Amino acid sequence: MIPELGHFALALALSLALVQSILPIVGAGKNDLRLMQSASATAYGQVVFVGLAFAALMNAFVTSDFTVLNVASNSNSLKPMIYKVAATWGSHEGSLLLWVFILTLFGASVSLFGSNLPATLKARTLSVQAWISVGFLSFMLFTSNPFDRVFPPPLDGSDLNPLLQDIGLAMHPPLLYFGYVGFSIVFSFAAAALIEGRVDAAWARWVRPWTLAAWISLTAGIGLGSWWAYYELGWGGWWFWDPVENVSFMPWLLGTALLHSAIVTEKRDAFKSWTVLLAILTFSLSLLGTFIVRSGLLTSVHAFAVDPERGVYILGLLAVSIGGSLGLYAWRAPTMEGGGLFKPISREAGLLVNNLILGAATGTVLFGTLYPLFLEAVTSDKVSVGPQFFNAAFIPMMLPLVLAMGMGPLLSWKRADLFGVLQRLKFAALLSLIASLIVWYLSERGPVLAYVSLLLAFWLMFATLREWALRIRLFETDMPTAIRRARNLPRSSYGMTIAHLGVAIVMLGMIGSSVWKSEEIAFVEPGTVLSISDFKVTFEGVERTRGPNYFADRGALRVERDGEYVTTLYPERRTYPVAQTTTTESAIRSTPAGDLYASITEPASEIAEDAGAWTLRILYEPLIGFIWLGSIMLCFGGLLSLSDRRLRVGAPKKSESRHAQAQAAE
Amino acid sequence: MIWGLISAMAILSSAILLGQLARKSNASVSPQNAVLSVLNDQLLEVQRDTARGLISEKEAHAADQEIKRRILALGRQNVTISSGNFGNIAIVIAAVFVPLLAVTYYNFAGEPDIASVAFADRKEELAEQRRSEDLTGRLADQLQNDPDGGTLEGWMLLGQTYIRMGRSADAAISFENASEKDGADSVVFSMLAEALIFAEQGVVTSQAERAIDTAVLLNPTNPAASYYKALALSQNGKDIEAHNTLLARLNSATDFAPWMETFVTRANVIAESIDREAISLVDFAPIMNASTPGPTAEDVQAAGEMSEEDRNDFIKSMVARLADRLQDEPDDLDGWMRLGNAYRVLNESENAISAYSKAEALLLNMPSTDPQRAEVDNALENLKGSK
Repeated sequence: MIPELGHFALALALSLALVQSILPIVGAGKNDLRLMQSASATAYGQVVFVGLAFAALMNAFVTSDFTVLNVASNSNSLKPMIYKVAATWGSHEGSLLLWVFILTLFGASVSLFGSNLPATLKARTLSVQAWISVGFLSFMLFTSNPFDRVFPPPLDGSDLNPLLQDIGLAMHPPLLYFGYVGFSIVFSFAAAALIEGRVDAAWARWVRPWTLAAWISLTAGIGLGSWWAYYELGWGGWWFWDPVENVSFMPWLLGTALLHSAIVTEKRDAFKSWTVLLAILTFSLSLLGTFIVRSGLLTSVHAFAVDPERGVYILGLLAVSIGGSLGLYAWRAPTMEGGGLFKPISREAGLLVNNLILGAATGTVLFGTLYPLFLEAVTSDKVSVGPQFFNAAFIPMMLPLVLAMGMGPLLSWKRADLFGVLQRLKFAALLSLIASLIVWYLSERGPVLAYVSLLLAFWLMFATLREWALRIRLFETDMPTAIRRARNLPRSSYGMTIAHLGVAIVMLGMIGSSVWKSEEIAFVEPGTVLSISDFKVTFEGVERTRGPNYFADRGALRVERDGEYVTTLYPERRTYPVAQTTTTESAIRSTPAGDLYASITEPASEIAEDAGAWTLRILYEPLIGFIWLGSIMLCFGGLLSLSDRRLRVGAPKKSESRHAQAQAAE
Repeated sequence: MIWGLISAMAILSSAILLGQLARKSNASVSPQNAVLSVLNDQLLEVQRDTARGLISEKEAHAADQEIKRRILALGRQNVTISSGNFGNIAIVIAAVFVPLLAVTYYNFAGEPDIASVAFADRKEELAEQRRSEDLTGRLADQLQNDPDGGTLEGWMLLGQTYIRMGRSADAAISFENASEKDGADSVVFSMLAEALIFAEQGVVTSQAERAIDTAVLLNPTNPAASYYKALALSQNGKDIEAHNTLLARLNSATDFAPWMETFVTRANVIAESIDREAISLVDFAPIMNASTPGPTAEDVQAAGEMSEEDRNDFIKSMVARLADRLQDEPDDLDGWMRLGNAYRVLNESENAISAYSKAEALLLNMPSTDPQRAEVDNALENLKGSK
């Protein structure tokens, strides 16, 4: 009965969304307050009913109710409870339900927190939000119903893909979806502003926090996803330029651009039309990300929903939402009034450079991701665009951005003094050069690009610290004053400092783990000794162990350095009999200096199997932990900034010389 | 109860909308006011920051100027906001529309009759399953450890059990073992073919084809063998031959048997692709000869239109009539054989054995080459074997 109530609740939510997609926007046109305010009621109603449906599905998973087809095909009675809960969004249908649930949660919070929004803007925003809701709910009910039933029920379910039975991946989709859906709010605001024909201070004030919240979630989701790939997929990499990774990375790149352009709109009343366009494009890429994975267009380890029949519906939804919003933009954007002016050297210009580079980088990734699809559609040739393309095209493009990132925060609004800024950063430049030289001296190998990247990473780190030091007047004034200034600095400014430092840290991790990585792959028998970096690794053999819904072959590796025992690593090869799959559980010894990473796979041949031989892969990846430390810093910086509900206005600083002239004239 | 809860949810959805009518419309925020309040907040913030020494007087002044410039640019225009009847009517319509649409959809797509069954509440079913698995496992062990390689009957029983459990691949292995035993008849091979085909999701593999051919060779009248032969032909693109095979077997039937329905359905599926006329069960109704009282053509047609339950009852009553008649005419060999076959189809093996035994006794006077003898022997062997 409970699944049926969930099904009915979804139908009610769809009806309410239909009402909400019409009444408020009509009300805004007719200036009818009652109709406009009905948006709040329907938004709350939607969250209640979709929440009920979500709870009903989760209940079915928790109690292993195999009369629900989705449960029967994605769960198993033996599965640990936490993965039963997580399986709620592990399948295609369940993940859509989670998506809509988050969407309605955000819709409800717009009506809850938006009491000081202009009534027409709020009504229109919620109507646009409801259009998205209608699209997703109807897609779910008509093509991917999570409450399809099966009777008589099978005795037990056919497990969830064991690769996905992992805490990192259990949390990955919700975070990613919070990010994607968060951008939907920004999108709704943008579409409402276009319909309204105005972007004002109240609009700008709302857009940045939503963008920031979405961006934090997306950053965390991508970070977690790469961490999962690192320790679960068993080949020690953390980013593969896999299309499924790319489709989550593109909204992140453009969302980062949006985040910065929203600052300009909020503080300087400029970049309005640009911010609106970025909001539309970011959400369009989020939709593309959701649907391209869901449609099974890309076949990779992530694409656990492969069903071409849904493709037509998906393409229709994408065409209507992306085409419609861009059409609306083309029609309405020219009528919006322009904002504040600025000089070529100014904070605005710096942020424009940020936006342009991020936009171009997004375009590059989009091209690399979709090119194989188009080529296959047109010529039916199958090609894959791999890391070579992305590393060659993407990395050089991002390096100038890092250079600009070091300087940007020191530029003042409207007009800035580039020479003065460079003056103040000379120590940072010197320090980065010295740090890079030290690393070069220590290693004496690695390609040029790595050193340039390294130099820029250090540059970004020191320039960011220098900017902070300037703000608190460190070394310019006495220590107590500096500390007082440091304490008084707004949280949003700390947010920026920490996030920018986070980028530098991530870069160090990326460079360290790709340039100075060492790897050994060998067939091993008990007693085999391998050496990697400074470590001596002895393979002691494999034993069979049991888990709740799997059994595992667990290898034991004794690790020594300079004759001293360091640790024993236990990589596993797990076999899930119900799902008939095997997974790799790598064993990792993490230190700030780097990770020692080991995984085992089946022996290559039967002869080898009889001899007790296994394929062992060991990697030493220096600094790799910095990637996730930096990602955490990015999220933390974002959270700090988000918690700062100050309203700031960016006013131009009068340049010193002009000021002096003015004084002289007086 | 489920409809009660569904009604409650539907009413709640209406109430959410109708609640709007009762709500007193509070003063709405006009765009100008909203912007003004943001800008005023910003002015206050600049003052706060100056007081905390975060920005210099100079910066504060510049910021102040900037904000005031924006306030002036804002201008003052008031928009009249109304709350007319139009809105109220629209909301009432929506309040009716929302539950109506949802219930209409649910009527079409919902399955309110399927109860939810938590795994924890299925202990008995699972225990039963485990017991049967246990027994099956023991039987399998026994057969595998038998120094003689297990008996034909044992492997057949195991194979049939696996089929019931849906383990077609295991069943195929059991039937294969059975087929290697002396005395393996057409039925063994047709069951082997069936298990192989199930295990391959309906695809007739070359191994299955060999089993089918052997089954046909051993007994051309074995319906299962003919059916799978037709399937194999059809999958090889020989639809005409497949159709002919099915029709030939139907035509040679002397008796009504449930398999004929499957044959007719299958033949009609193939007929569509080769432009042949559809056939009907009535054309082959077995007990049509006037001499034997039995179901008339109308009866058979009626049977075709009945629900499965009714049909079973109908067949049972027909069988009972035949049994009654045979009590009065115990020398009717054909009758006993038909009765035995009918019981076998109905899975009443005790009755089937006793009917076939009567036939066997009558056959003692017949020559040993009479095909009916082989048929009865086969039937008895199978029935006893599967007991």
